[in-house]
Amino acid sequence: MPVRLARLLAGFLATLFAASFVIFAAVYAAPGDPAVFLAGGRDKLTPERLAAVRAQYHLDEPLVVQYGRWLWDCLHLDLGRSFKYSDQVSDLLAARLPTTLALVAYATLLFVVLGVGAGVLAAVKQSTWVDSAVVGGTTLAASVPSFVAAIALVSVFGVQLGWFPVTGSGNGFAGTVHHLTLPALSLALGALALISRVTRQAMAEAAASDHVEAARASGIPEREIVRRHVLRNALGPIVTMCGLVMAGMLAGTVVVETAFGMSGIGSLLVGAINTHDFPVAQAVLLLMVTGYIAVTTVVDLVHPLLDPRVREEARTT
Amino acid sequence: MTTYKRRAVTAGLAAAGLLTTVGCSGADTAATGGAPADAAKLKLTATTPAAQGAVAKVNWLLEDEPDSLDLDTQGTSAGRVVLTNVCERLYQLQPDMTIKPFLAEKAATPDDRTLVLTVRDGVTFHDGSALTADDVLWSLKRHADPDMEQSDEFPNVASMEKTGADEITIRFKKPDALFTKALAGDAGIVWNKEQVEKAGEDFGTPGQTDACSGPYALTGWKSGDSITIRAYDGYWGEKPLTQEVVFRWAADSALVNALKTGAADGTFAESPNTASALRGVKGLTQYYGLSTATLDLIPTERGGLKDPKIRKALSLALDRAGIAKSGYGGFVEPWASPVGSGSWGYAKTEFTAAQKELAATSPASPDADDIAEAKRLIKEAGAPTEPIVIGTDATQGRTVVANAVRAALQRIGLKGTIKTVPTAQFEEFYSDPQARAEIDVLVADWYISKSDPMGFYDNGLSDSSNNWVGFKDATYDEKVRQALGTLDDDERATLAIDVQKLFADAAVWIPVAQVPSVLVLDDELTGAPASQAYLYYPWAAGLGAKKG
Repeated sequence: MPVRLARLLAGFLATLFAASFVIFAAVYAAPGDPAVFLAGGRDKLTPERLAAVRAQYHLDEPLVVQYGRWLWDCLHLDLGRSFKYSDQVSDLLAARLPTTLALVAYATLLFVVLGVGAGVLAAVKQSTWVDSAVVGGTTLAASVPSFVAAIALVSVFGVQLGWFPVTGSGNGFAGTVHHLTLPALSLALGALALISRVTRQAMAEAAASDHVEAARASGIPEREIVRRHVLRNALGPIVTMCGLVMAGMLAGTVVVETAFGMSGIGSLLVGAINTHDFPVAQAVLLLMVTGYIAVTTVVDLVHPLLDPRVREEARTT
Repeated sequence: MTTYKRRAVTAGLAAAGLLTTVGCSGADTAATGGAPADAAKLKLTATTPAAQGAVAKVNWLLEDEPDSLDLDTQGTSAGRVVLTNVCERLYQLQPDMTIKPFLAEKAATPDDRTLVLTVRDGVTFHDGSALTADDVLWSLKRHADPDMEQSDEFPNVASMEKTGADEITIRFKKPDALFTKALAGDAGIVWNKEQVEKAGEDFGTPGQTDACSGPYALTGWKSGDSITIRAYDGYWGEKPLTQEVVFRWAADSALVNALKTGAADGTFAESPNTASALRGVKGLTQYYGLSTATLDLIPTERGGLKDPKIRKALSLALDRAGIAKSGYGGFVEPWASPVGSGSWGYAKTEFTAAQKELAATSPASPDADDIAEAKRLIKEAGAPTEPIVIGTDATQGRTVVANAVRAALQRIGLKGTIKTVPTAQFEEFYSDPQARAEIDVLVADWYISKSDPMGFYDNGLSDSSNNWVGFKDATYDEKVRQALGTLDDDERATLAIDVQKLFADAAVWIPVAQVPSVLVLDDELTGAPASQAYLYYPWAAGLGAKKG
């Protein structure tokens, strides 16, 4: 296990390093000149002024030198100052991160509970009307893009019925839950369908295996079989898929944030890209990639704990 | 970005370039709900009826989070809407778009090149310290620093000195008619030197205090969440009726929904689509105010529109009334000059008459004579062989304008193609000649911060970076320079009208419509100005309950 852990950690760092360079270069290569924005207005767009601004922000140095400078500062936990807000990037992130994390956590809770629940239900009641209803309902849900869901939910439950607030992220636990319910639901809808499908499929496969047949033949109650043999064996792919979907959500909240007027990481990133705010765009992207890699690494670590077969494999390799 | 400035968020999408589809689908769906307005019947007012009673708290919406609350380093509309209640200027822009001395209690001009300001006595900053002539001088010098946003207001200033205990004397290299108007804008803010220096690099960022003397003090800025201002107890002037204002921000449909559900009490809507979506909503009232903003076509020197005759022909054939109706729900008014009527801070009668005359070159709806004249001009100039490329982004209004331009070109026998780019890239057309090299005309919007048309017409000078068609006219240049140096309002108005005519004759820009400022307010509130003065006037101080 310690060897495996070390290997995973090394992989994590190597991926992060590679990703950081790609992010840096990509943001740098984006069309448009940040100096135009930094110069502060068209009346000042003289070549001399632009050159001075470029020098001031080290934009005139070769890409690798800039990357080195950035990496060095990052390692010292200094993410720089935003071009746009002139505030510390770390402060901007700290202010917006809780909203996005709460949103993703809430959405994850929703899609895991409802998605796995629906999947189990469909698998247990395979080939009945329940199964068809779940499959049909989730197909419909999967085909609705999150921004459409957001607009529909807002107009029905926010504007018409007035049950939920339509903007902002709320204060305190109750306030946050109240504010985030509709956004989290819009975000979870697509994922919910995916997870229920994966759950249903994995359960069906597990249910068809020999040991389940054997258990059933030996007269163990059906409920017990589903819980101890079918679900347990199906858990691997379900957890992996849940982890991947959740990790993907970290980068996909922007649409929902905009529709609900919430200032989170996603809208910060889009604003930063539009204004060529390099330090913010790079930091947010790095954070998203780190989050993604971290979640998938955790899934890798958890997987053997759930499935003895994988654990055995890990030990022998 | 001081004298002339694009309306940064008219597109309403400053923060959502990737989201054009999302943002628009929300706003557009909503927009179809409201009844269209009739621009000709929109009553443009300076202010709303006076308030009668106090209000404890008002929730206000901005279209974006302010970049910074230091307007010297980062001046945006969102920042101004907040800070104008917190910070005061040496002059003050009034709701009717005139200006008057303010923190400068008195202003004297012993000669054309000298301005003597007497600093108002008894004013304290929000930290309790007294506002002094030293603070005024320090602030002016900060504004004039070449790195600061307002530095371009000071090119004619030869010296700024303290010449008495409460007296500042500014000397000019040559007379500057717009300087006092700049002092009613961001170049006239008086900062508390001690507080600004104490905050250092962090001044204007979340978590800092303000350094001003206005009716409200900044009490909190939670980055990414809200900004709160509260009435300042030690204020030297009249006490505000509203005790606290909480600012939040949202774009497009989120903004519309927040107002519809009462989550917010008001907003100054920068996008006509927002106004359109909120028209006739129960519980909300809309007021339309004077503004300097316009929609324009800005031709480039590439391609067919390089020829002034072709530009004039296009102007004659453009269906401005149609654009106003289908692109902007009737919230804009066909217009014949590149600045809105809010720029007429003086000589209103003369400017109104001159505007009517200009309508001959920029008709609201072209008639048969206009089309015939346009065709004649094209025949004279020779029709361009290449199609005319119209640059736009995907926002609803601009798309309609672009299509109207193409239709106008078609009507007079020319061909047009539309080039649509993302909003972020669209902004680069304004500043980058290389980006502009791919278009012949830009569907643009523009406003000036000063209530003086001469704040705009230097864009037509032969060496101006905003004169894209390479318009060169010695008479024009001479008249602009003369007007900018004429302190007498009536004399300057006469010159400005001449200048405006020359600009229109050459069709350096092609005006489309004037865009009023729109205030959307909860039914129970009143008292805020409706005009564009909301960017420079403490609008929240007058806001209160309708009933006492």
